[in-house]
Amino acid sequence: MKKVLMKTDRLSKSFSSGGTMQHVLKNIDLELYQGDFTVIMGASGAGKSTLLYALSGMDTPTLGTLMFCDQEISAMNQDELAVFRRSHCGFVFQQIYLIDSMSVLDNIMAAGLLTTKNKKALSAKARELLAAVGISPATQKKFPTQLSGGEAQRVGIVRALINQPDVLFADEPTGALNSQTSLDVLNLLTQFHDQGQSVVMVTHDLRSALRGNRILYLKDGIILGECDLGRYTTEDQKRHERLSAFLSQMGW
Amino acid sequence: MNGCRPFCRRWGGNMRRSFLIAASRFHRAKGQNFAVVVLILLAACMLQLWLMLAMDYKQNFDRCHEALHGEDVLLVVDDDTAELSEYLTQKLESDGRTREYSIADALHMRGGFDYNGGEMNAEMVFLEKEAALARSIGRVEMIEDSGKESGVYLPLIYQSDDIAIGKTITITIGSHPMTYSVLGFFNSTMAGSNNCAIMEILLTKDHYQELETLGYAPKATLFGIRLSDQGESESVEAMLKNAVSAQYPDTHMASTSYALVTVSRYISQMICSGILSAMAFFILVIALVVIVSNIINDIQEHMDELGILKAVGYTSRQLIASLFMQYGGIAFLVCLVGVSIAYGLFPLLNTMMEAQTGIPYNMRFLPLPTLLTLLILVGSVVLVVWLSAHRINHVDPIVALRQGISTHNFKRNRIPLDQSHAPLSLALALKTTLSGMKYNVTIAITMLALSLVVVFSGVMWKSMISDMTPFLNMIVGETADSCINVNESIESKFYDAMSEDDRVEKIYLYHSIEVRHEDEIGLLATLSDDFTKVNNANVMIEGRFPRYDNEIAIAAKYANETGLHIGSEMTITANGNQITYIITGLTQTTNNLGKDCLMSRAGYERLGELTNMSYYLDLREDIDIDAFNTEIKDRYPNQINTTINIDSVIAGSASIYVSLMTVLVIAILILSAVIITFVLYLLVRTMLNHQKRDYGIMKALGYTTGQLILQNALTFMPALIISAIIGAIGGSVIINPLIALFLSSIGIVKCSFIVPLDFISVATVVLILFAFTMACLLSLKIRKIAPRTMLTQE
Repeated sequence: MKKVLMKTDRLSKSFSSGGTMQHVLKNIDLELYQGDFTVIMGASGAGKSTLLYALSGMDTPTLGTLMFCDQEISAMNQDELAVFRRSHCGFVFQQIYLIDSMSVLDNIMAAGLLTTKNKKALSAKARELLAAVGISPATQKKFPTQLSGGEAQRVGIVRALINQPDVLFADEPTGALNSQTSLDVLNLLTQFHDQGQSVVMVTHDLRSALRGNRILYLKDGIILGECDLGRYTTEDQKRHERLSAFLSQMGW
Repeated sequence: MNGCRPFCRRWGGNMRRSFLIAASRFHRAKGQNFAVVVLILLAACMLQLWLMLAMDYKQNFDRCHEALHGEDVLLVVDDDTAELSEYLTQKLESDGRTREYSIADALHMRGGFDYNGGEMNAEMVFLEKEAALARSIGRVEMIEDSGKESGVYLPLIYQSDDIAIGKTITITIGSHPMTYSVLGFFNSTMAGSNNCAIMEILLTKDHYQELETLGYAPKATLFGIRLSDQGESESVEAMLKNAVSAQYPDTHMASTSYALVTVSRYISQMICSGILSAMAFFILVIALVVIVSNIINDIQEHMDELGILKAVGYTSRQLIASLFMQYGGIAFLVCLVGVSIAYGLFPLLNTMMEAQTGIPYNMRFLPLPTLLTLLILVGSVVLVVWLSAHRINHVDPIVALRQGISTHNFKRNRIPLDQSHAPLSLALALKTTLSGMKYNVTIAITMLALSLVVVFSGVMWKSMISDMTPFLNMIVGETADSCINVNESIESKFYDAMSEDDRVEKIYLYHSIEVRHEDEIGLLATLSDDFTKVNNANVMIEGRFPRYDNEIAIAAKYANETGLHIGSEMTITANGNQITYIITGLTQTTNNLGKDCLMSRAGYERLGELTNMSYYLDLREDIDIDAFNTEIKDRYPNQINTTINIDSVIAGSASIYVSLMTVLVIAILILSAVIITFVLYLLVRTMLNHQKRDYGIMKALGYTTGQLILQNALTFMPALIISAIIGAIGGSVIINPLIALFLSSIGIVKCSFIVPLDFISVATVVLILFAFTMACLLSLKIRKIAPRTMLTQE
């Protein structure tokens, strides 16, 4: 029996645009489980990113509730949400969003120091993680503008993981990367998932989606269907077919 | 003509295009432009007020002087004989500098009356009203006249709640109180205030005749002289006094000159003018620094936009022209508004000034100060725009498009977070501080200027507002509780009695008398039997007081003007005798505009005997000075010439300066708060625009709004604290020389005001805390930075 990490009840999000309301998420009931690699797919404008940001406490829902374990996230104010994010969530963005004025190590320290005051231990952990994702000590001193896209995204992943989040949210993490670098990043995410990290990833890339064990398909603000792909292994040759069939069923 | 058209069309087209860019930029940076608008508005207002005060206020005296056909030299001699008149007439007619002169009968005596919570004391010249109005030179202008037949007319400056038409006034003439009905007020340029050395009072015929009959004020002759060159007023005054002294050595006289009056009636104008000019230039410099910072920021932050504009064909000249239009346009329009506000505020300033000058000022449009304000402000803005915008010339469109905002080159990580011991918010703030030198320079210049203002306010508060003693010591010189002038015949009896009187804590001779240097220049000599007894030894700024009968100390200003120094010899003439003295010290005094000297009594008596002498007395705290003076007058009938309650006299005239300075100090402190608020507003806005992306990321990572507000506010603190401390220390060191420089024209060469380090420390801390609070409040906009908005924007 999987443990429910997050649960939504009739989660809705609407935006006002030019005097008319756009209902981006419509009464979504969803459970996310610990240890899952959940992939949210859908066409452009389906509400994938909106759902991700609502789940991660980056945005507040218009209606409905969002629970994280026993905490009601949807009732929190902005500062409480900030504390929730730093304690339970990690983020990997398509545009990476490292702070240009800080070195690689400082980017990670700036996130880590929000939850601990033990700089020495934090620094050691950051270096260890950076080394684990292939960032050399020399690169750790560099500034983001001096990094390649792949390097920057790997640093982004380390920053997301530095506080040992309960969930790692990734929004199109490979969207701005070339093919080989994308593969490296996906391997890293898979590697951390294999170590027990819960991941929620938004993507419209089939190759990325294959890494998830649970695929949710979003269309016009509702979850149209979901597919259980099982844990990712390189040997699973049928995985691609199963996903393609599911997506074709969903009208992809 | 036809050849001009393509040029005009082209130029007009260019202007239109530049205008479009300027308008778009203006719209985009409304907040920053608002701060620039406020700073320029304040600078324009201050500049205009200063220029109006400096360029027209004193000139108003000249206009008034001309309108009333005022004297350049006014001399009253306690002698109404035809012989004296003939003698001086001859002197005047034979002197080529005399343009015209008039002679009038008058009564002359030192006198005083209650005024402004104290006592006004001056050399009073009583004139019969109708005769005064008919004078060809030195006319008086009736400002208010009840038209009644019996009473007194006073100079306009003394009109107050207590001294008003219909009320009575008691004037102590010599030692005789006379009560009159106040019938009106008049304006006299040369004798319309106690600051003029001579003060005219008009009596109706009955009272004039009464006073003449009573003999309380000796009959005198009043000489009014107009000169071909007003610059000669002091030397003609000295010549006349020398002539009278030589011919009539025992005759009392009093005089004043255009040079003395124009300075002494405009001390408040000079102080106010100095403060306004300093504030105007401080604010202007801050506004210019802010504009430079804005332009540099704008170029950096919108480098990609510049690249696009250049790529589509805009020339650097057009882009620079748009900046000229934006800032030049703001400067010009705001300057016009600032100037208008200055015209609106000037009557308030005028009310404060008139309390000291006593000359009515009619405000009018002043083209020259207005034009100068526009030129200085718009000119300096255009200059700094040109200096800071020329880098647009070097922007290559491709490079600009590629680089966009990321023009920084981070080579050093000065505050590594893994090694820093500072708390997280402070460490992050320091990182931003070290990468934003523009902000630091703007903050530093602003805080240096404002710290100096704080120091000035502290010094004024300590030395003028809370306790006037330091100011009085510098401006007035010696002060005591009472001054009693006695005839020589009772001197020793009086001195012995006072020495034994337990109400008297100290008594010493402190008598002023006129002498001449090299038989030409009139000096006011102050005599004492023992200078160690004086209350204000600070008057001696170099060397020592004269002890022996061959010694003299002179005013430092006069020494500078004449090339004399300690150890030099100088020849003094009085009573027809000439003695050479050695200079032992240099003093600082504003008496007689610095033409002043100190001599021991024995030293003066080598030139002649004293027929009367003034003693200064310090009384016990609980003694009523007026009652004491009255008792002494009654004890020695007809032997006491004058008694002065010095405390009261000082309170009467000093309160004007105190209120003026209080208003100015409050105004400049409020202004400082406004300036720092707007500078911070501008910097915080710029910083938030600059850091918006980073703050969005940090919010996404879990930073709370409070943490980011604190971090943003802390970013400004290092430059702010360091410059405030440097400004406070530097200001404390330079404030006294600076004040001395401002007051040098009235004889001040060294200023020793107490620099209240406690006040300055507290005020600096308050200023820093105020700035920090404002930075936090202004950073509240961070609340509106939502991580999601930032993430979905790109």
